[in-house]
Amino acid sequence: MNTALFSSAMIFNFLIPIFLLLVILVFYFYYSLKKREKETTKEREESTRRLYELTILKELGERVGYSLNVEEILQIITGSLKQFIDYTAVGYIVINPEKIKINTHIEKSVSRSFLSEMKDRMIASLSALTDKSFDSSAIDEVVSGAIVVDEIKQNIGSLFNIPLVIGGAVAGVLTVAHIDVGLYKEEDMTILYKITGRASEAVSRLEEVVEMEKGKLNAMVLSMEDGVLMVDTEYRVVVANPAIKKIIKFNLLADGKDVNFFDFVNALGGKFDIHGKLEEVIKKKNPYYSERINIDDSFFEIGVCSVSHSMLKGGDQILGAVVVFHDITKDIELERVREEFTSMIVHELRSPLDGIKKIIELMISGSILANSDKFKEYLNMAHQSSASMLELINDILDFSKLQAGKFEVNKEKVDIKEIVENKISFYKISADAKNLSLQSFFSNNSPQFSEFDPQAVKQILNNFISNAIKFTSRGGSVLLSVFTYKPGEPLPTDLARDKFIVFPETADIKINVPALCVAVSDTGIGISKTNLENLFHTYKQVRLNSSDDQNKGTGLGLVIAKGIVEAHGGKIGVVSKEGIGSSFFFTIPL
Amino acid sequence: MISLNQMKKILVIDDDQFFSKTLEAALPAGKYSLLSAEDGEVGLQKLISEKPDLVILDLMMPKLDGTAFLKKLQESKDLPKVPVLVSSNLSSVKKISDVMAMGAVGYVIKSDESLQSIVQDIERVLGENLEKK
Repeated sequence: MNTALFSSAMIFNFLIPIFLLLVILVFYFYYSLKKREKETTKEREESTRRLYELTILKELGERVGYSLNVEEILQIITGSLKQFIDYTAVGYIVINPEKIKINTHIEKSVSRSFLSEMKDRMIASLSALTDKSFDSSAIDEVVSGAIVVDEIKQNIGSLFNIPLVIGGAVAGVLTVAHIDVGLYKEEDMTILYKITGRASEAVSRLEEVVEMEKGKLNAMVLSMEDGVLMVDTEYRVVVANPAIKKIIKFNLLADGKDVNFFDFVNALGGKFDIHGKLEEVIKKKNPYYSERINIDDSFFEIGVCSVSHSMLKGGDQILGAVVVFHDITKDIELERVREEFTSMIVHELRSPLDGIKKIIELMISGSILANSDKFKEYLNMAHQSSASMLELINDILDFSKLQAGKFEVNKEKVDIKEIVENKISFYKISADAKNLSLQSFFSNNSPQFSEFDPQAVKQILNNFISNAIKFTSRGGSVLLSVFTYKPGEPLPTDLARDKFIVFPETADIKINVPALCVAVSDTGIGISKTNLENLFHTYKQVRLNSSDDQNKGTGLGLVIAKGIVEAHGGKIGVVSKEGIGSSFFFTIPL
Repeated sequence: MISLNQMKKILVIDDDQFFSKTLEAALPAGKYSLLSAEDGEVGLQKLISEKPDLVILDLMMPKLDGTAFLKKLQESKDLPKVPVLVSSNLSSVKKISDVMAMGAVGYVIKSDESLQSIVQDIERVLGENLEKK
């Protein structure tokens, strides 16, 4: 019997520790399971948090990327908050340019005192962050969500504020409040800090980009030659570039006030109704282009068009309007010059042609007997008229070729002496008729042969010599001098210039390579300073000071001469003294 | 009684010598004597010295041009009052009305009219004048 007892005691002794061990094991597993559960929950919470963070950031990224609106950003954040944080109320306070705004969303009903305390704490937070004080009565308040029930006596238990910083400045504060105490842990606050941090980064970067683009646009508009003015819908000046300030002759006043719309209205006065046109364009959305408008000495074409941008929600928002002043003064001048040229040609051709027509009319009418002296005289007149018309047409042709750069210079090896002497004998008759002496002189250093287009040079000599004869009174003299010009050296000493006070000097001959130089000097009436300036450039008639019988002329001859000389790579020039004489000269590089 | 065979003096002030020559040839022989001046200045001188019955005036001339000549005539009290027929190639309506406002009795566009019609205009003007006298 003792053995049995002993055996059962022994079994017990084994069983109890085993049993105890089991219990311990069970507890241990239970405990670790619980622990793991806790960890899993924690992980789940963590991943929820992460997910929330990612979702918010993604949404933020999409929406903030296009918006600089602080309110919008705060709304996005607060809107998604309840998926993650438990709160009684959430709100934000935002600094708008005009006012401070508080927007609060109540999740569960609260009393007015709850809201007012929340508001005070939001303002306090903002004041502390911005170092400014705010008048709580001057703040716009919006409340949404559950109704306000004053009977609910619960006040704020937990609250935390998170600032939204953009570009280094506090733009607003996000606030979360709950009636329960001690609810908000560090993790909750951390994630919100992260979110608002990211948002502010994104917005700051966007603002930088906008500033840069603005800067580019400004630089472009600033450098434009056309005057640009942009106003907003309230007619405040948004952009006014230096060009347009110059047009209205605006000077920055001592007090540094920049230009305003009335400066434009006043400056443009009766010439252009800028206010009226802007109104029209903004209303009708059709751009307006003016005819030429004269302001002081300049002419402008003015364009006005509205500026709008299409909104995401659809439709257009008018931002204002732009006025552009395009300077067309040069174009008008060109037009005028062309018109003058055309009317000059028409007149110069019409008269001789009419003369021919009338002469023929006479001959047809039979009032002149054939082969009579009168008849021959009229035939000569008709011949002369037609010849001068052809000459003019040839001149015009040469002129337009020179203008277009298509004038052909056919250089040949020619003896200038031959050409000069040929011309002298040709013009001897005209010179004799006015009792003028017409001579040539060749310096010892004048070249024997030089290269140039003989026809073209003959044309120049024709023009110079005929002018000299035309503008020299009876008994005067004309001299053709030929020599080699070497830059840096004085003119040859053997030039027979005794009678000719007016003669080119080295300073007048503006060529820097050795060249053949031909000068036609006269003791004529000379040319006034003002006329001298225009000589080779325009084709206006040079008005004469004293009597002359052949003062018609297009003046094209000199312009063409210049073109020919320059086509040879040479220079043309003139020196003259009124009442004493002139000397026209040209050089051709050797 | 006024003799209708009295030769009328016509002063042509024009720098285009062909015009005055052809006009002279076109005018009926024996009725008119033609004088010419190549610009407004010489024209004024001849106006005073010759006292013509009619002036045929071109507008585009050097020194004193036609418009200036007309102005002088209009403003002066001493210059003889002679009818002025303007003959020019300028055809702008403004020019024509300006000239007529300055006292010209007529405006002829040279290149548009034949010598015959110009002669008719001359005869008409002189004929009217004759009636006025």
